Amino acid sequence: MKHGVKMGVAMTILMTGVAFSATTASAGELSAAMLSNTCDGCHGPDGTSAGPAAPTIGGTNKEYMLETMIAFRDGLRPSTIMQRIAKGYSDEELELIAGHFAAKPFGRTAEQETDPALVAKGKEIYDNLCEDCHEDDGRAAEDYAALAGQMMPYLGYEMADLISGTRDIDKNEALSSKERRKKKRNLEELVTTYGDEGIQAIIHFFGSQK
Amino acid sequence: MSKMNRRTFVQLTGATAIAGAVGMPHIARAAGGKVVIVGGGPAGATTARYLKLANADIDVTLIEANPTYHTCFMSNEVIAGERSLESIEVGFDALKAMGINVVQDVATGVDGGGKTVSTAGGQSFAFDRCVVAPGISFDYNVDGITEADAEMVPHAWKAGPQTALLRDQIQAMDDGGVVVIVAPGNPFRCPPGPYERASLIAHYLQAHKPKSKVMIIDPKEKFSKQGLFTQAWKDLYGFDTDNSLITWNPASKIGALASIDVANKTVKTDFEDIKAAVINFIPAQKAGKIAIDAGLTNDKGWCPIDKATFESSTVPGVHVLGDASIAAKMPKSGYAANSQGKVAASAIAAALAGNDAPEPSYVNTCYSIAGKDYGFSVAAVYRYNADEKIIAGVKGAGGLTAVDASSETRAREVQYAYSWYNNIRRDIWG
Repeated sequence: MKHGVKMGVAMTILMTGVAFSATTASAGELSAAMLSNTCDGCHGPDGTSAGPAAPTIGGTNKEYMLETMIAFRDGLRPSTIMQRIAKGYSDEELELIAGHFAAKPFGRTAEQETDPALVAKGKEIYDNLCEDCHEDDGRAAEDYAALAGQMMPYLGYEMADLISGTRDIDKNEALSSKERRKKKRNLEELVTTYGDEGIQAIIHFFGSQK
Repeated sequence: MSKMNRRTFVQLTGATAIAGAVGMPHIARAAGGKVVIVGGGPAGATTARYLKLANADIDVTLIEANPTYHTCFMSNEVIAGERSLESIEVGFDALKAMGINVVQDVATGVDGGGKTVSTAGGQSFAFDRCVVAPGISFDYNVDGITEADAEMVPHAWKAGPQTALLRDQIQAMDDGGVVVIVAPGNPFRCPPGPYERASLIAHYLQAHKPKSKVMIIDPKEKFSKQGLFTQAWKDLYGFDTDNSLITWNPASKIGALASIDVANKTVKTDFEDIKAAVINFIPAQKAGKIAIDAGLTNDKGWCPIDKATFESSTVPGVHVLGDASIAAKMPKSGYAANSQGKVAASAIAAALAGNDAPEPSYVNTCYSIAGKDYGFSVAAVYRYNADEKIIAGVKGAGGLTAVDASSETRAREVQYAYSWYNNIRRDIWG
């Protein structure tokens, strides 16, 4: 992590502060639950969103969520509000938060309207371009984001940002250069071969997964 | 249902035997302790829910005056005709299903020494810890208007029938009229609320009564999210032009508010008489009545607290949170009340178990919608600062949406605002 030294200093100051208040006012360091329950206001109880747009974060792979929060904090991933919020937490705190939500289920309870024709088309595109990484119809959460049942407007925003380059795959330090090349190649093929309807189709496919 | 097989019979007798061994359970102290919560709004309901999540054995009673609650958040969309009143109404069934005793009654007294809450209905509830989360009451300190006039001149600052009344008055007014919003002085519930309201009323007028105007009369010289609102008004409503749908008139420009002539629908300042089609007078505010009656307030009408636990500085064992409390530097917002409910619940659960309160963490997130596909937000992450005894924002974190954010960002923030609404409702009331 390129922020290693700076973060180290910041962490020392922060941890000293916490330790000091712990002896004077309260019982100790921040717990994972205390840090994480403030997320539920926007992302839903246990991180399962009722939508329409805010993503479900329950059941997210711990390392993936930690990397994502650090990318928000460092300004490497665009957002509306998450860059501002992620700056409020140290690496250690983000790790506690990521661990908390990784232990929750990814709820697929929100009703989302999908078009059966687009879902079928999306499945075809998924098998061709997405399945290698986002396995099990997008349910797998071992290495990448689980996409099955994710909020469709959110999927649309992220696809738009990936295609425009606002969300720059080359700045994703969590990916190997091989993975970056593959993701960029597949996104380009999605756009050139399937166009806007193809992008909608893949969103409908993931959105339809229960 | 009534059929009793051998197994349920054994279970029942077994349960009786255990209860008998413990001895008279109806007067015994509840295993997890007793908490009585006054107020079923965001602060009170969140505390109730998180106490049960922390320890299902805690006996939680929630006293709320109304059978349902209307959220103030998103009520400006109701006023603008963008959503129904029913869509901002929540019930207490999910809290009841968690085992919370929800009582519809008006709390009239909190006895910190005797540890009981009494009600208008003549009930009395004993507690080990009490939570008072009554929200706000109004201070009608302007000549010509009293609280009884709210049926003519709605405040619409507690959601419900008042919200519908203001909506109906705006829908009934002739085109060409002026809607006057009189904003309150600090501190008050929902600091960006009057300005979001002005925006969404302008949005309605633009489509339905385009010769009409919104005029904000303000005792303050600046207001929450001011840069973002004025940018929105320029982008959407011709602000700063001769034909602006919205004007903002601080006291320095239009004079201090002198009186309101309710019968003639006229707002009088030191400099001008303004004839209105609709007046929305948002009075000055203080803590809800029960907090004042229970001796929980200071001379300014708000409740001082220990900001790490929300325990009252005046009555030990009683916690005050949400809009009624002095939770500086958190604003009086729904998200703040929700966040405070979680901190208070963890502190109370710890106290009942004989433990120290855990180190708190708090967040505020507040969205405003200024028009179609036009939203923006403010956020903050807070920690308890023991030296200054305040809830301090983490430096470098939080802040406002950029004033020059793209239209795409503005549109996304509206969808995230709706998501925030749907999710925080579930986080508060289950």
